[in-house]
Amino acid sequence: MLSYNFKYELKLLLRSRWIQLLSIVLLLLFSFSTYNGLQKVEKRKKDIADAHLEVKENDEMMLKLLDSVERGMQVSASRWTIPTQPMAVGNYHPRVAAMDPQPMTFIATGQGDLFTHYVKPKVSGDDFTLNFAEMTSPVQLLFGSFDLAFVIIYLLPLLIIAFSYNVLSAERESGSLRLLASQPIGIQTWVLQKLGLRFFWLSILVIFTLTLVFFIVGINPFSQVTLFFGLLALVITYMLFWFALTFLVNLWVGSSSKNAVVLLGLWVVFVLLVPSMLNQLGNTLYPMPSRTIMINEMRTLKAEVAERQDEILDNYLRDHPEYAINDSTQFRGFYHRYMASQKLVKEELSPLINAYEDQLKKQQSWVASFKWVSPSIIVQESLNQMAGTSTQDYESFRKQVIAFAGIWREHFLPFLYNNQDFSQNDYADLPKFQYEQKSFATFGVIPILFLISIGLFAVGFLFSNQTKKEGILASN
Amino acid sequence: MIFNTFLKETKELMREGRVRIAFFIVVLLLGIAVWISARQYQNVNEQYESATATERGLWDNQGEKNPHSAAHYGTYAFKPKYPLSLVDQGVDKYAGTSIFLEAHKRNEAQFSAATDQTGLARFGDLTPDFILLFIIPLLIVLLGYNSFTKEREMGTLTLLKSQGISNWKWMLGKWTALFLPIFTITLLLFLFAGILLSSLKDFGVFNWGSLFMMLLVFTIYYMIFTNIVLLISAMTKKSGISLVISLCVWIVTCLAAPKAASNIAESKHPYPTRQEFAANVLKDKKEGLDGHNPWSKEAKLLEQEVLKEHGVDSLHQLPFNFDAYRMQKGEEHEAEVYFKHYNYLKDQYTKQSKVYRSLAAISPYLPTRFLSMSIAHTDYATHWDFADAAEEYRIATQKFLNDNFAQNSEYGNWRYQADAEFWKTLPKFEYDPPELNAILSRNSSNLWIMGVWLSASFGFLAISIKKI
Repeated sequence: MLSYNFKYELKLLLRSRWIQLLSIVLLLLFSFSTYNGLQKVEKRKKDIADAHLEVKENDEMMLKLLDSVERGMQVSASRWTIPTQPMAVGNYHPRVAAMDPQPMTFIATGQGDLFTHYVKPKVSGDDFTLNFAEMTSPVQLLFGSFDLAFVIIYLLPLLIIAFSYNVLSAERESGSLRLLASQPIGIQTWVLQKLGLRFFWLSILVIFTLTLVFFIVGINPFSQVTLFFGLLALVITYMLFWFALTFLVNLWVGSSSKNAVVLLGLWVVFVLLVPSMLNQLGNTLYPMPSRTIMINEMRTLKAEVAERQDEILDNYLRDHPEYAINDSTQFRGFYHRYMASQKLVKEELSPLINAYEDQLKKQQSWVASFKWVSPSIIVQESLNQMAGTSTQDYESFRKQVIAFAGIWREHFLPFLYNNQDFSQNDYADLPKFQYEQKSFATFGVIPILFLISIGLFAVGFLFSNQTKKEGILASN
Repeated sequence: MIFNTFLKETKELMREGRVRIAFFIVVLLLGIAVWISARQYQNVNEQYESATATERGLWDNQGEKNPHSAAHYGTYAFKPKYPLSLVDQGVDKYAGTSIFLEAHKRNEAQFSAATDQTGLARFGDLTPDFILLFIIPLLIVLLGYNSFTKEREMGTLTLLKSQGISNWKWMLGKWTALFLPIFTITLLLFLFAGILLSSLKDFGVFNWGSLFMMLLVFTIYYMIFTNIVLLISAMTKKSGISLVISLCVWIVTCLAAPKAASNIAESKHPYPTRQEFAANVLKDKKEGLDGHNPWSKEAKLLEQEVLKEHGVDSLHQLPFNFDAYRMQKGEEHEAEVYFKHYNYLKDQYTKQSKVYRSLAAISPYLPTRFLSMSIAHTDYATHWDFADAAEEYRIATQKFLNDNFAQNSEYGNWRYQADAEFWKTLPKFEYDPPELNAILSRNSSNLWIMGVWLSASFGFLAISIKKI
């Protein structure tokens, strides 16, 4: 029976041109979205390369200036930008702290349009003023990006629904169900086989077109074997979930139109409603402290600190006696006071900053525990992680940059408090930022999602007594 | 006859379970969405009030201080939330809410809500605009896809034809039956929102005119969708096919087109990165007068000019503090640089808007979205408007401070401190969003596009109905 079903179904799909249509639609969607993703990655790479180039050019100028100053020549630059002063180097010659794209970044924009991919931390200012938000038109953020993740999460389920919402009901409506009922096969088995075959063909099409698109746009999927097969496994498991839902709906609901309405309802619930409600609940349960109030607190603190600058500097120097010993001039200027109070501001502000980090952590763990309510959330999260554009990736980048900003600041403090000039020889010792790529990609969700889908199929088998009792020919 | 058709269709819809359930769910969702938004609105506004008051307090109580130190200390401009954001949140989540106003620098609005949320935020929020823009069109599809096809499938088409009913009357009956329930929900929502907003304390710039205009925009949007769905139903033979095609239209219109538009707009007219932008500004700034640098070429030039103008030969003889005067001139140069670079951003955005408008040809969602955000004061243009107002205020503040510095001290006196009471005389930052008329004239092209969609869809429907 399976072989008959297989042959018949394939013929049917070919003759109704479903397979042809699906191949074209998939090819178009995949190539357009991959192209979009790649364009973003290209721009990101170019931006980072430009930034490095700019720093390199600036450094050459700085070295030239240093050379001139060290030889006692007159230079035309503004007094406070001359790089013999350590603070001038720290402020006007910052390094690029960049987050390079990962090999699969093009599959999901994730948070990549929201956050910047490189910053240049300076010695003055505080970590708080480091702005990690990218300059993007908010309209673009609102609409989102037509990337591969969008096609997979939003559109693929709709294709599945359109492809198989009426597997059983069409037979009933065209009258061929009576013929089928005379065959020696259970109705669940029959629907399962029919859907299984559609799932099989759609999987083949998806794998084939996706691989093809990757090759067309010039990416060798086999250079990233684990990630590529992880991606395929995730997509296919997600498809299996939607096929499981259509199986249940086909068995339990009735006419084609009712099936379609119910399936669409499920799509709206899983893809649109659950994620947004979960997000809003997370925000309500673990609300971010108000940023406007935070600004007030920060300002009050800074105002207080500014009044006690001299006292703070004295305290600071008392804590660091080494500076008093090494420096013969004992000159104390603006930056001596500023850096000392800045350090204090940073310490006092850290509970405030931690409050944000904590709330974000809590929101994340809230999402982590409830993400199983909707597979779309799981798939979105996993795709972002594979792409290296998830919230965690940007959080990790942010932490690394803040750590680097600390190193950068610390590097110039001995120069400052010893009143020692920055020289050409010191150039080589300048700290450099190295982004440590941590992959947050996990494939553990795939088997669980797989089991959930299989479970749904089993539920369909076990609990369709209704149809057994009344017989499948009973009209709804 | 129109009325009879309407009555019959409505009865049929009412009797069907799916319609009742769908309606119930939509109304429930709308209720939740309005409740959440109203809470958020109140919350944000309370924060806004307290933040503005505290910030002003800090400014007023600076004590004796040099005006230029105060300029560096700076102040903040906070963006309020407007009443109609209750209906359409627009880009509020993605746009910053506070701008730091300081000497020498124009800052971007900081701290958007989206940067403080998890990746889940990108799925969107359950807000009234989400229901109005996405779910109700889907409801129209579900209610109307078989409006004509069912007559074919049940064989009632032949019966109908023998009745001698004119096609357009028949169509009008069906159209009304599909549109009226949708319109009723929308009307109720807007009435509810209006009553809720006018009962809130300090509801600011809320006016019923804007709310009515928004209702009109959405009404037109639903009319277009009703037309499209009925057109498809009239042109297809089977309900199933009609449903699939209508759904495709919905997907393209509401989901795919906006995203594709955003991709195309970005790749064609990209924004610079934040760092690039800052570097460009810095480069231009360096080419002009720096208020803090008396030794530069530009500063010397200014010096000679001023000396000549006043007919004196030393800066000490000037009737004002030249340091402060130079500071002000430097400020003006920097303001010009920012003006130029922000105008470039605006230009890019204007070009991006053109892309959105051209894609509106395949998606009535786009003009509706832009119009409704505009009317609700939650669109990007209002954000720009706010940022510009803040910048104007910043420039005026700098002049206010520098003038005080220049008039009350003599050249070289950096120790001058303004009176503790002086800060209170700085005017407060006030921002009024554009009026409804201004918004409508700014969005006239979107209105046109919607008009074309409406008349074209009616036209096609009228043609197709003749062929049944």
